[in-house]
Amino acid sequence: MLQPEAVELVILAAAALAFAVAFSPPAASRRELLGKGGVGVVGAAAIAAVPTFEGTLLALLALGVLHSIIGGKRPLAVRLRGPVVAVTLLGLGAFFARVQGPEVMERFAAVGLVAGLAAGVGVLPYLHPIDPDEPLVSSPVVWLAFAGPVLAAVIVQRAQSLLPVDAAGAFGAMLIGLGLINVVWGGAAAWLTESEAVAWRYSFVADWGLVLCGLGLIVADGQRAAIVMLFSIVLGRLPLYLVALHAPHEKVVTGRPVNLVVAAALAGSAPFAGFAARLLLLRAATQLFWPLAIVLAAGMLLWLPGSLRLGRSLGLPKGRQAVGVALVLAVNVAAGLYPLPILLAAHL
Amino acid sequence: MVDAVAAFVAWLGASVVVLADGRRGLALGAAISVAGMAVVALDAAGPEAAASVALGGVVAAAGRLRSGRGGWHIMPAGSTPRLVLCIAAALLALWIAAALTTGPAAPLRFTAMVVIGLSGARVLGADEPPILFTAIGLLALAIALAAGIGQIAPTPWPFLAAAVIAGLAGWISPRTVAAA
Amino acid sequence: MPSAAVVAPVVLPILAAALIAAFGIAGVSLGRTAAAAGAWSSAVALVAVWLPVRSSLELLLGQLGYGSALDLRVDGVSFAFGLMIVLPAAVLLTLQPRTWPEASISLLGVGAAMAAVEAGGVVLTAIAGGTAATVAVVLLETEDPAAPRPSWALLLAGWLALSLVGVILQVGGGTAVYSAVPVATVTAALFALLAASALLASCLLPWRMWPSKLWSRPSLRAAGISIATLYPLGFYLLVRAYELGDGHYPSPFFNVLLAVIGLATAFAAAGRAQAAATRREFFGEVIPGLGGFALAAVALGTPLGLVAGLVILATASAFVACLALLPDRAGLASMVTVAAAVGLPPSIAFGGRVLGIAATFEAGEFLGLVGLAGAAAWATWMVAGARAIGLPGGRGHPASETFPRVAMFIAAGTLLAGPAIAAFQLGFANPVAAEVMRSSAASLGGGPTSVITVSSVLPAVTLFAPLLVIALVAYSLSTTSAIKTQARLPLFKLPSFAAVDQARAALRSATVPEQYRSILNVRELEAAAAGGGMVLWLVALVALAFAVTR
Repeated sequence: MLQPEAVELVILAAAALAFAVAFSPPAASRRELLGKGGVGVVGAAAIAAVPTFEGTLLALLALGVLHSIIGGKRPLAVRLRGPVVAVTLLGLGAFFARVQGPEVMERFAAVGLVAGLAAGVGVLPYLHPIDPDEPLVSSPVVWLAFAGPVLAAVIVQRAQSLLPVDAAGAFGAMLIGLGLINVVWGGAAAWLTESEAVAWRYSFVADWGLVLCGLGLIVADGQRAAIVMLFSIVLGRLPLYLVALHAPHEKVVTGRPVNLVVAAALAGSAPFAGFAARLLLLRAATQLFWPLAIVLAAGMLLWLPGSLRLGRSLGLPKGRQAVGVALVLAVNVAAGLYPLPILLAAHL
Repeated sequence: MVDAVAAFVAWLGASVVVLADGRRGLALGAAISVAGMAVVALDAAGPEAAASVALGGVVAAAGRLRSGRGGWHIMPAGSTPRLVLCIAAALLALWIAAALTTGPAAPLRFTAMVVIGLSGARVLGADEPPILFTAIGLLALAIALAAGIGQIAPTPWPFLAAAVIAGLAGWISPRTVAAA
Repeated sequence: MPSAAVVAPVVLPILAAALIAAFGIAGVSLGRTAAAAGAWSSAVALVAVWLPVRSSLELLLGQLGYGSALDLRVDGVSFAFGLMIVLPAAVLLTLQPRTWPEASISLLGVGAAMAAVEAGGVVLTAIAGGTAATVAVVLLETEDPAAPRPSWALLLAGWLALSLVGVILQVGGGTAVYSAVPVATVTAALFALLAASALLASCLLPWRMWPSKLWSRPSLRAAGISIATLYPLGFYLLVRAYELGDGHYPSPFFNVLLAVIGLATAFAAAGRAQAAATRREFFGEVIPGLGGFALAAVALGTPLGLVAGLVILATASAFVACLALLPDRAGLASMVTVAAAVGLPPSIAFGGRVLGIAATFEAGEFLGLVGLAGAAAWATWMVAGARAIGLPGGRGHPASETFPRVAMFIAAGTLLAGPAIAAFQLGFANPVAAEVMRSSAASLGGGPTSVITVSSVLPAVTLFAPLLVIALVAYSLSTTSAIKTQARLPLFKLPSFAAVDQARAALRSATVPEQYRSILNVRELEAAAAGGGMVLWLVALVALAFAVTR
């Protein structure tokens, strides 16, 4: 049976692709986006639709191969590494989950699943190398913001049926641990790194830190937080990144209103979707282990300096791009104030 | 006994893929490994699965002969760490499959674990497309094998899908990559 | 009155903002009229909703998705704070010319702040308050990126802390609705977090923060709106905290601590005011000074203290509009504003402080000392005010933004409103006390002419009206032409913060010693982490496996 969260994320990915096609400036790149992006959506749908775990891994492997052969500035080996290592680790994880043996096998299964998920998405400690000049369709951002959300939803849901209770606890704990590392590293790096393209990538990584924390908090609010956060990544951060990619590289020292509002959206300030996700995450953390909520709340402040920088990188959007930015912000405000439809669609 | 030999053969083939840099060596390694995996699959999942593995592997090996560095280049200079990796992986997988874990399908466990591990390691350490895609083909087939662990009657669909992926991966050449 | 009417004060400014933006993008500027209409309609709607019933009216719609329903409420508290927010903003939006983006953003800020005070629960208040803070920062940056503005991180920290309070209440008590939270859920630790968030939201701290610094901006259009919408919100939280605790804070320690912080804020503002080099610098300390006195009164924990605090806050909100419209030059308007700001009798500020000090003596024990210290701070303000009359005006603001007569009218209004303090308390502040201190609010009595407390009676009309006459006579007999503006020595010098600045500069310029740079090279660390190296990936895997087997 199709998993509702995964279906919803596939639809969101398709919507992000539609945005990219509609608001990307040059006509030539729109065709490329539509073609290659369409393949990505189909691949993500395949990951969600396949009923078995191994089928998911094979779909992931196929998608990884396809993504690597479409070209890009990075060497083929580098492009392949992430998805292939992900499949390897997830495969080994599933192996250890299925074999009968000592309890430590179950924990190794959890390790494989967590590490495989991190490698597939491209977060710490398995960051995919990035080339700042690489086109969007062949960059690691595709894994972070397009196929990765679907993969995460599927892996976590399948892991819950593969792993016994004790190992599931270890699985959740590792997700939270990795999540916190990504929150801190991603937040600091988005602020301090020199290249703007790299800063954008780290901002995705920081958001994924919250997603991983949400997925690791095995209460309903944790899953809700993760899905709303993924929404804000796919239909918030990704479209804004696309606009920033095509912005003229002028030296924007001062912030215009649009840059500041975008910065607020990227920082997860109220009333944007990121704030609703953070609220749900704090609820989940409070239910399970309240000191974690304090740590998360403190970590959430790290988004601000990087977001100010990223907001300025959009420059002054004009024409169609300005409409696109307004649309993204409006959607995120609506989702931030009223996230219930997103949660209901995911049956959460 | 047959399964044990087949598992050893699968490991041997995967090791050749790890140790070879030339197209002939890669094709040979892929063929040997696939042969072993097909026998293991026959016992674990039935004749359809075995046929899928075999077919996929043959197509992949044939495709590998078309592109890549000419010749065998098995164990070139500097491949000692890879040799150590193959042996260590085999010992580790053997220990886990035979001693640490329980259940009847020890050869299946050994084969899946060692081929997945060696294929993944090969991709992590290689740069050339023919090597990468050969390893990917083996990885796909081993993933399908792993689906049979713990199941009484695994379905043949994962094996079919894996065979398709392996077969196609074997025919991806540097020209295909450049054209895309 | 249908319950749906409670959304009007929130929605009307937002609709006006949208309309202004839509026309603005199309190239048509709607001018001040639309902005004024948006703000005044919110005020009128608020009054229209509250006055007919004078009791709580609530709108409860469905769940939003994060444990809170859409719950908006107009009660005494939201009425009082709503007026404190919307009235000064409406005055400023009516008079000061703005570009359409500034007008639109200002109205969004007003709408968000109104939503914060109408929200029925902590979580919604956090969302709306956070939105108001973000909008204020955007507004200030839009007007002048180089001028001082609040630290966004500080504001965000405050509202994030409140969000955490809200979720803890939801998880621990099942709800974060102000009127429904079980008292036992509001523990000391939780209250400390709420108090911290309130102090950060309004920056109620003794050192010079944005409530002072914004007044030094070259233009006061955005500053006025920002302070009008943001400054009352921290006090709102502290007042609602009484409702959460069924009329009390969890421990008397918090009453004392917050009162001391308020006093320290007022005294620090007084100290800066008496050392001000220009009149604008002096006026910059008026809002923090009034806020400090208000905090000290609100924190006392008695109905009288709460009422006194609200009177002072209402005065402060009037001064937000007054100071934003006042030009930086000598004259009658400036002098009247100084007199009103320092709380010369019989102004309403004077009355509020008298009530506040009376409340400290009624509260007794340590809080009585707070009252004495408050009187000393007030005296310092008097000195500062006397000195400020002769100070040079300041840098000056664009003439199109200043309206000296209106500013003087507002300041004079607070002076003349002193005798009406009892009526003000009855109509404005008592409903708040009745809402949040149900068990003890009955101790406040009196009518439109006097304030009756537990231990005293303040016959406001009888006392203040003659004082007003005396003050008017005294002014008419005095000559102000002899006042020459010049630099004046302060009463006392503030301690030098040079050491703090030096420490800050040293921290900023700190670098890793040369011999350790190869170990702590962040760039290399990042390159290693992001390089996709096989060794790192394998090591990470081993580390995870090791961690999970422990």
